[in-house]
Amino acid sequence: MNDIALKVSNLQAWFGDFHAVKGISLDYQQNTINAIIGPSGCGKSTYIRCLNRIHEEVDGARVSGEVLLNGQNIYDKKMDAVEIRRHIGMVFQKPNPFASMSIFDNVVIGPRLWGERNKDKLEEIAISCLKKAALWNEVKDKLHQDGTSLSGGQQQRLCIARTLATNPPIILMDEPTSALDPIASAKIEDLMTELKKEHSVIIVTHNMQQAARVADNTSFFILGELVESGESSQIFTNPKKKKTEDYITGRFG
Amino acid sequence: MHLSSSRKFKDRLFKALLIASSFIVVVPLLLIFNFLLQKGITSLNLDFLLNAPKPVGEIGGGMKHAFIGTIMMVGLGALIAIPIGTLCGVYLSEFNKGRIAWTLRFTIDLLTGVPSIVIGIFSYLIIVVTMKGFSAFAGSFALSIIILPTVTRTTEEILKLIPTHIREAGLALGLPRWKVIYFILLKGSRASLMTGIILAISRAAGETAPLLFTAFGSMYVSYDPREPMASLPVQIYNYAISPYDDWQRQAWAGAFSLILLVLGLNIFARLYFKKNKFLKFFIKKS
Amino acid sequence: MGLMSNSTNLVSKKGPSLSWTISFSKQDQLAYIVLRFIALIIVLLLGAMIFILFMASKLAFSEFGFSFIYTDFWNPIEDEFGALPFIFGTLITSFVALLLAAPISIGVAIYVNEYLGTKLSTFLSLFVELIAAVPSIIFGLWGLYYLAPFIKNDLAPFLKSTLGFLPFFQGVSYGIGVLAASIILALMIIPTITTVCREIFKTVPTLNKEAALALGATKYEMIKLAIIRPSFSGIIGAIVLGLGRALGETMAVAMVIGNTPVISSSLFSSASTMASVMANEYAEADSDLHLSALCYVGLLLFVVTFIVNMFARTIVWRQTHKIKRRN
Repeated sequence: MNDIALKVSNLQAWFGDFHAVKGISLDYQQNTINAIIGPSGCGKSTYIRCLNRIHEEVDGARVSGEVLLNGQNIYDKKMDAVEIRRHIGMVFQKPNPFASMSIFDNVVIGPRLWGERNKDKLEEIAISCLKKAALWNEVKDKLHQDGTSLSGGQQQRLCIARTLATNPPIILMDEPTSALDPIASAKIEDLMTELKKEHSVIIVTHNMQQAARVADNTSFFILGELVESGESSQIFTNPKKKKTEDYITGRFG
Repeated sequence: MHLSSSRKFKDRLFKALLIASSFIVVVPLLLIFNFLLQKGITSLNLDFLLNAPKPVGEIGGGMKHAFIGTIMMVGLGALIAIPIGTLCGVYLSEFNKGRIAWTLRFTIDLLTGVPSIVIGIFSYLIIVVTMKGFSAFAGSFALSIIILPTVTRTTEEILKLIPTHIREAGLALGLPRWKVIYFILLKGSRASLMTGIILAISRAAGETAPLLFTAFGSMYVSYDPREPMASLPVQIYNYAISPYDDWQRQAWAGAFSLILLVLGLNIFARLYFKKNKFLKFFIKKS
Repeated sequence: MGLMSNSTNLVSKKGPSLSWTISFSKQDQLAYIVLRFIALIIVLLLGAMIFILFMASKLAFSEFGFSFIYTDFWNPIEDEFGALPFIFGTLITSFVALLLAAPISIGVAIYVNEYLGTKLSTFLSLFVELIAAVPSIIFGLWGLYYLAPFIKNDLAPFLKSTLGFLPFFQGVSYGIGVLAASIILALMIIPTITTVCREIFKTVPTLNKEAALALGATKYEMIKLAIIRPSFSGIIGAIVLGLGRALGETMAVAMVIGNTPVISSSLFSSASTMASVMANEYAEADSDLHLSALCYVGLLLFVVTFIVNMFARTIVWRQTHKIKRRN
């Protein structure tokens, strides 16, 4: 298991004059779950949003550095950001199924808007993604109901199914369970463990226990800088840096 | 400690005044509707709805030409104004930076405040004079200027309510921005956008001043946009100020049908909107 | 095909479906260009409006200059035109309409926001919005055939008997005239003022209201202190917005104001407004000078409504920003 799925080199990001991400380099291995933890405002969300080039959509945002997906730099001048995002999926903090769209339409909207017209193919995609997102059984009889009629946890799984429909090798998750209750969160954590079989997951979380439970590797950020990164078991039991230890034991943050 | 009687009195008086205000607001609309009902309902028959006017002096005939005219001109005006207005609303909501956006917003605000008679005169000067004659096209042009700012405002307001992460979710799927705007934002808000459009159309249907010097009016049924055309409000006006009893009777029927049309569209648009709970989901929690 | 396998070449040959598809950034660039083009067309439209009005007024302006604004003489037969009667008519009807509409609108806004429960408040506010939907000509018809007789037979005699010593209630009333037009206008602008006031009042934090009540204030005192006083400039903005609407109102006024270019202090007198004279005389204007004079009036009206509306928007904008900053 050991190809590098994503290689980040000296990534820097700015919001106008504010230097939010200050030179982070990390390697992400294939089929692993990688957590990013750190106190609020440490740049973890900004960082992850650079990985699928969403950060640059904000006014005044700037990025420098390299992010290599399969050896190719997604920030290369020849690359089209829109095209890149097909290969890197993202799940957001607040579940956001699209309004006035059925559950089915929500799942297949990616492939459909990319040009897939074949109804059978779309159905196939919908069923397989809903199954992978552990939502199929709950919605199979109501695929044509509005996407927003589901509960919060179900909506988030719908968003995950929607992301899976484009079959991205990398899935980014920005605090995906922070708006959910513990039971719904647990379901999503189980789901992540399944997902890593076919995808590589990078998750930002402010919940250290979640990182410890789910992630193979954990990185700790403070104020836009990488303090420490390694296997979760090592980080949480035997951190190398004092700052990491302080954060984990709750002395700050 | 007792509340002084003068304070209590002022409190009660205030409330009484407020209730009186509300009455003053409610009563006239009821009076107007009732008045039109009484004067117009007897004349609101099939003859009136389905027939063209009879020559002067003859009793009977109807406003078929005016109904058709209003439908055609409002329809044509809407056809022009709705796409353009929606796109302007999209621009102001999604690309809101720079001088062009500021200028556009200023322009739309200005256009909202222009009196409809001035719009009518402008349309006359630019189209009627050029085409050397009144036409339904000129009327539609004037109406489109009236419809456009409202549609723009509504579109902008509705789109601005959609939280940013919805847009980001669309982009994150690897979709170009225009597809996110069209297939996710606009299509997702179509119910409330429709409401705004219906309200704008119902306003245009009731406008008289901008049609006076553009479509001018006619006593014949016409489907030709290059010719003058009747419209419901203008026909009502012309009949009402005429000296003929039968025409005045028809004016009341026309007025009653106009108010039914406009209020009906309004109520329909608002109910249609309330039925959709999805918007509640979209409203940003501040 | 739509699906990508895990080891794809990221550099896109073209889109996944059709080989002639342009790249996405180009698509978005194109979309942006189209949008900007449309925006420019709209701005040009407004520019054209201003330009054409100017050109159409040129003849009258060269003949009368700025004295047009303060000359009280409108005679199409002799081709002598001065717009003062219409400016006066517009101002007096709008002013009286505001006098009537402002307290009522503020009252309704407060009543709906602070006193009524959800169902009734939705109902009443819907009612108010329906008034806004009634076409101008219908107000005109009702004004001419219901309100005018009422004024002539009931209201005017009453006013004369009680307040007849005032210059405003002198002379005979035939029903139509400044008073009728002002009342109709008041009705028409109440929805505008009410809606804006409601929005402003809603921005008052509940905490402030509760604090006033907790200090022992009566509801009236709480409203005065916590709602009206801080929102004062916003209320002014709402009223000025109503003024903007009243200035441009045409058909309803044209049907009940009497259409005589007269300046009088009596509310019972008939008069004419800038909008109504255009509606009445434009179709029959025979001389070029007459037409140009009417366009000059239109230009003046355009300028006045523009200034009033901009003024109103600045006030309301400043008020809402003051609230945002505070909160």
